[in-house]
Amino acid sequence: MTALRRVVHEVGSVEFGPATGYHQHHLVVGRELLESLFADPALAAVRPRLASPGESVRIITPLDVVEPRSKGPGGGMFPGFLAPVNRKRGPDTHVLRGAAVLAAGYLPRNQEGLIDMSGPAAPLSPFSRTHNVVIEFDPAEGAPLLEVERAVRRGLLRLAVQLADAAVDSTPDAVEELAAPHRPGTPTGGLPRIGVITNLQTQGAFKDVFVYGASMAGSLATLFDPAEIEDGAVVAGQYGHPALRNPTYLHQNHPVIAELRARDGLDLHFAGVVLCPEPVEQGGKEHVSAHAAWLCQAAGFDAVIVTKEGAGNADNDLGMKVDALEAAGLTAVALYAEMSGPEGTGPPLVAGPRRGAVVSTGNYDQRLKLPAVAHALGGTRLRIIDAEATAAIEVPVAMILGGLSPLGAGRLTCRAEPPAVGLEGVA
Amino acid sequence: MRLVHYVNQFYAGLGGEDAAGLGPSVRDGAAGPGRLLQQLLGADHQIVATVVCGDDYAASDPAVSAELLGMARAAGAELLIAGPAFGSGRYGLVCARLVAAAQAAGLPAVASMHPDNPGIGEAGAAPVVAAGAVARQMRPTLERLAAAVAKLATGAPLTAEDGRVGATARIGRLVQDRAAKRAVELVLARLSGDRERTEVPIGGFDVVVPAAPVDKASAAAVALVTEGAVVPLGNPDRLESARATRWLRYPIEGVDSLASGTWESVAGGFATTHANADPNRLLPLDAARELEREGAIGHLHGEFFSTVGNGTTVATAKRFGVEWAAELRKAGVQAAILTAT
Repeated sequence: MTALRRVVHEVGSVEFGPATGYHQHHLVVGRELLESLFADPALAAVRPRLASPGESVRIITPLDVVEPRSKGPGGGMFPGFLAPVNRKRGPDTHVLRGAAVLAAGYLPRNQEGLIDMSGPAAPLSPFSRTHNVVIEFDPAEGAPLLEVERAVRRGLLRLAVQLADAAVDSTPDAVEELAAPHRPGTPTGGLPRIGVITNLQTQGAFKDVFVYGASMAGSLATLFDPAEIEDGAVVAGQYGHPALRNPTYLHQNHPVIAELRARDGLDLHFAGVVLCPEPVEQGGKEHVSAHAAWLCQAAGFDAVIVTKEGAGNADNDLGMKVDALEAAGLTAVALYAEMSGPEGTGPPLVAGPRRGAVVSTGNYDQRLKLPAVAHALGGTRLRIIDAEATAAIEVPVAMILGGLSPLGAGRLTCRAEPPAVGLEGVA
Repeated sequence: MRLVHYVNQFYAGLGGEDAAGLGPSVRDGAAGPGRLLQQLLGADHQIVATVVCGDDYAASDPAVSAELLGMARAAGAELLIAGPAFGSGRYGLVCARLVAAAQAAGLPAVASMHPDNPGIGEAGAAPVVAAGAVARQMRPTLERLAAAVAKLATGAPLTAEDGRVGATARIGRLVQDRAAKRAVELVLARLSGDRERTEVPIGGFDVVVPAAPVDKASAAAVALVTEGAVVPLGNPDRLESARATRWLRYPIEGVDSLASGTWESVAGGFATTHANADPNRLLPLDAARELEREGAIGHLHGEFFSTVGNGTTVATAKRFGVEWAAELRKAGVQAAILTAT
C-alpha cells in the first residue's frame, strides 16, 4: 500500500469562459474544451450549466458526481478508464476542493432524485455545498442507452481531470499527507485495528460500480489500497435510490476512511479497506459474506465498519456481513438508512443484522417540504411525483441525492424521542 | 358513560373462519369478552351495545370502518372500545381503523391489541393499549383495557403507564457529527465494552409461520399476487414505481397469458426490459393456466393483485398482506402465489 499527498486547491466560485483556468480560488470552465471532451457518436449534444451553493436552483435526475482531481502532467487519474491500471503513479493528487462535475438527465433505472442548492434540502445533500458544473445531454438518435451512459461517464471523468489540471501549478491551500494503512503485525501500542468493508452494488447495466473500469460482479471481497480509491479506482455507474447512492465523489472522499484516518494513532490503528460486491443471489451473498469475514480476520482487523449501496438486496448483504464478522469474533458496525414510514412509526429496518450495532443515516420516508425554485437543471418535470421541476413540492428524503449517504457523508439520524430542536424543513 | 364495544365474529360467538365473511350487525348490551369487561368496569360505565363484523368482510375494505362507526353512534356511544384483537392481523386492522375513524370524528375510542399486531399502525393518533399475544391472556388484557377505558372516560389522555402502545415515532434530525464519525465512535465504544450501544435497535424481525399445505391442490382456487408492479400498459391507475401506498386489482378471467405490449411493470427497483418483454415472468399467468388445464390446480382466481415492493415500508406491506388475505379468503381462494422482484 502506498502513501499519498493530497494537494488541495479550494474553489470559491466558478464561471464559463473561453479557456479553462484556475486562479485564486476562481475556476473558469472553457466551453469549447468541454464540448470536445463529450464528443461521442452516442451523444447529439451536451449543455453545460452551473449551480453554486445558495442559488435558487434545483438539479433534477442527477446521475454521477465526480470531484475534479489530477495527477499532474504524468496523468494516471481514474485507472481503468482514463489511465492504464498500473501502480506507477506519482504521490501527488491535486484536488479542486469545493467543486464537482455531474451529469443530469434521463437514463434507464435512474430513479429520479434532486439536489436543491438552497432551502431546507440543502443541508442534506453533499452536492448542495459544491460549485457544480452540470452536464445536460441529448442522446444521439438511435444510440443504445448503454453507449450513452458510457459516453457521459467518460466525459465526466475527462472533465474532472481537465479542470483539476488547470490548478496543478497554483500554490495549494493545503497539502494533506495520507499514510498507508498499518500492515498486520505492526505493533499498535494496544490500539484496536479497525478497517472498513465497502459493498459495491453489482446488479448489471445502470446498477454497477466499476473497480479499475470493470464491474465487481462475480468477484470475491478484496483488500484494496485506499490511495487507489483517492485516485479514482472506484467509479460509480449506479443510478438507483438517489439518497442511497454512492456517487464517485463520495468514493474519492470516502467518509469512513477519512474518519478512520483522522483518529489513526490516537485511539485506533487504520487497518485497511476491503471492497466487496453485492451479489443478487442468496448463495452468493452467503459466500461473499463468509469470505469477507475471513479476509478481515486474516488481515488482522479487530473491528470493521461496513457500508452498502442501495436498499433491499443491499440491506441483506450488510446484515449478513455484520453477522458473519461478529460470529468470527470481530466487532462490527453497519451504516443503515431507516425505512419506518412518513411518521417514523414502522419497523426501521427491512432486513438487518442480528448482532453488532447500527448507525442510522436518517429515515428514507421522512417528508420534506421544498419551496419553489427559480431555475431547474437536468429536466423540466419530476415524473415520479408528476410535478414541474421548479415547483414547490413535498418529497421523501429518499429523493435527495446522497441524503441518506450509506458511506456516512450526512448528518441525519433518527431518534425515538421527539427532537429538541426541529429539523428545518423536515415535516 | 355509554360504551359501545366492537368485536369480531369469533368473539361474538358467530363462528370462526367459516363466518369471517359475515357483514356488520349490532346487538344490545355486552357480548363475548364484553361481559367480563363490563364486570371489571363496574357500574359507572355501561356497555350499551356490541357491534360485530366478520374479519374478512371488515378488513378487506377500509370503508367498512365508517359503517361500523355509524352503527356505534346510532347505538348511543359516548366512548368506543375495540378488541382485544391480540395478535390477529385482520381483527387488529379493523380495530385500529375503527378507533382512528372514531377519534377523527370526535368520539373517544381505545383499541386493544398486541404491540406486534400488523394493524397497529392504522390506529394513527388514536390510543391502543397492549393486549397479550394470544387469547389465553384475556383476563389481564381486559383488566388493563378496563382501567384505560375508565381513565379515558375522565377525558385524561392515555400514556405508556396505562399500557399504551404503538410504535414510537423515530424522528429524523440533523446532528453535529456525520454518520461516518458516529460509526467510528460506536465501534470504539463497542470495543471498550459497551456491547449494547446502537443507534437503531438490532433484530426483532418477523418470522412468518407458513400456513398448512393445501389439502388438495387439484381442487383449490389459486390466486396470483405480485409486488412486481405489473399493470396494464400505460399504468392507467398510476401505481407508484417506489414507496407504494396502495395496491391494485386486475381481472384475468379468460386471459391465458400476459402479452407484452399489453401489460408492463412500472417497478423502479430493477431493469424492467426483460420483464416487459414477457410479463408472464413476473406474474406467471401462462404457467398457471397450464397447471389449471392439466388439473394440477382447481382453478385460477379471476383477478390478480399488484403493488410495488421497491422502497415500500414494512408497515405498509404488512397491511397489504392482511388486506389481500381477507380479500382472497372472502373470495374462497385457498392458496396464493406471491412473486417478488
